[in-house]
Amino acid sequence: MTQYLVSVLTEGAIFGIMALGLNVIWGWSGDFDLAYYGYVALGAYMTLVLTIGRQPPPVQYILGLELPYPVAVLLAVASAMALALVIGLIALRHLRGIYFSIVTLGAVYVLYAMAGQFVPLFNGYQGLSGLINPMADALGIDFNSYQYFFLGLAIAVFLLVYFFMSRVSSSRFGLALRSLREDERAAAAFGRDIYRLKLKAYVLGAGLGGLGGALFAAYLSAFNTSAWAPLETVVLYAAILVGGRGNIRGVVLGVLIVYVLIEESTRFLPEIPGHPGIVLALRPIVIGAALVLFLRFRPQGLLPERHYVDRVQPAAAEANAP
Amino acid sequence: MTAAGPVALDVRGLSKHFGGVRAVDDCSFIAPKGKVTGLIGPNGAGKSTAIDLISGFKLPDAGSVVFEGKALQGLSPHRISRLGLIRTFQTPREWRELTVLENVVLARWDESRETFWRGVLGLRQAGREATLSELSEARGILQEFGLIALRNERAGNLSGGQKRLVEFARIRMAKPQLVILDEPMGGVNPVLGERMALAIEGFITAGTSVIVVEHNLPFIERVTDHVVVMSQGSVIANGPFESLRSNQAVVDAYLGEMPTYEQPGA
Repeated sequence: MTQYLVSVLTEGAIFGIMALGLNVIWGWSGDFDLAYYGYVALGAYMTLVLTIGRQPPPVQYILGLELPYPVAVLLAVASAMALALVIGLIALRHLRGIYFSIVTLGAVYVLYAMAGQFVPLFNGYQGLSGLINPMADALGIDFNSYQYFFLGLAIAVFLLVYFFMSRVSSSRFGLALRSLREDERAAAAFGRDIYRLKLKAYVLGAGLGGLGGALFAAYLSAFNTSAWAPLETVVLYAAILVGGRGNIRGVVLGVLIVYVLIEESTRFLPEIPGHPGIVLALRPIVIGAALVLFLRFRPQGLLPERHYVDRVQPAAAEANAP
Repeated sequence: MTAAGPVALDVRGLSKHFGGVRAVDDCSFIAPKGKVTGLIGPNGAGKSTAIDLISGFKLPDAGSVVFEGKALQGLSPHRISRLGLIRTFQTPREWRELTVLENVVLARWDESRETFWRGVLGLRQAGREATLSELSEARGILQEFGLIALRNERAGNLSGGQKRLVEFARIRMAKPQLVILDEPMGGVNPVLGERMALAIEGFITAGTSVIVVEHNLPFIERVTDHVVVMSQGSVIANGPFESLRSNQAVVDAYLGEMPTYEQPGA
């Protein structure tokens, strides 16, 4: 049971980082990005090819540098940001709404097809493996306590990301991003460089996606195309929507509800005899139903976005009301 | 026309066509500094397109726009805004989910405080002082527009008239050298109209020259020093409002439309 709790919490922290990243792009800047899981996947793949060594054929992949894990994480984040910069430069120039979503969906499927079919890149559909308990030797952590160490690491990174996002959320930068979401022509009329701001948000969010992917790779110690489908992004969207778009506390709550409650609770349902896998199939149905119900009845989520509430009472404020 | 005094905006030979339609065709006019210039004309005269061309939201095919001695053509909307020329839109474009106070505070663009790194790592003390002075300034403006009680309200919840006032409050906060108001009276009742007329006088006092596009001619007569009349993409007349009554070209351009205007207080 302890082991189970440790794995749930570790996953929760990792998905929390990913959801906070997507919240920058969709929650604040307002762009419905469907390429997001591509940045998670790139972060995971890059972490693996940077940390594991060369392996004998037929296994093939790029790099294989055996770098220390922390260095690999930084480079993985950088590569996710670089890819986001390229895709963002193209997709954010003139496209908005559904057109932006279609282009990002196309981009992520190109990435998915390349990862699966262009074998020399990340070993094709077989994927990569062999990143076992990074930093364990260097820090002298034994095999049994490693999972606690990694849980602590995931939570520490999550808290750091949460802290930075809470500062961004209350900053002028965060407010300017929200103005783009609400009305970007007005934002331009009041001096905002829409393209640059949106691009910054996109690259920042993708970087957090890459960071989540880098932790995910170490958690799974392997990664391949069956570990990610581009539409995993939709589950992250469900988490943000249920919790509260634009509110980082809400986003974390949404991750707890969607990933931990829905994903994990179905695990304990009894199998129905003669219908293997039906419980597994229930999960997307429950998530989809939650998505539809929230969109219909509480689109702002459980914890709506918070705004500055001015409590200073100017003299004769009420008397002058229109 | 020869401008007697400093010029805020000098538009020359501005042209734009969409397919075979010459929306704006060799349009030239001057907006004097420190004055209210009215821009009128029948529907389809090209007023809104002219504003889009001046403010950078559309690219002109030909012509030049000089604002405070700087050429604007080819600049993007945010660059033009940063130079001190701000425009509004025919429908109010408030940031709906933000509060009224946030809408007003955010109207002032301040690059040094708006970067990502300043947001994450910025010195809290300096930031707080700037924010406090900005907030009290925004409160003062909202007080003036009678919106202070609504400052924490979601801007999207306001009525159409209140949204127009928020737009005016944002202009006051941004303090541009020139503002172009695109049909500020659209959907506004006559009482609020008088408040807007006073607000326009307030802009002039605060050092903001004004161009106002409007179909409401009594309002134009009330607020403007000088009127430019457009028809079929070009300027057909300009001068003080009274001088236009006897101008045959203006009367011809408006034929069939004149009687439809509502008179405030009538």
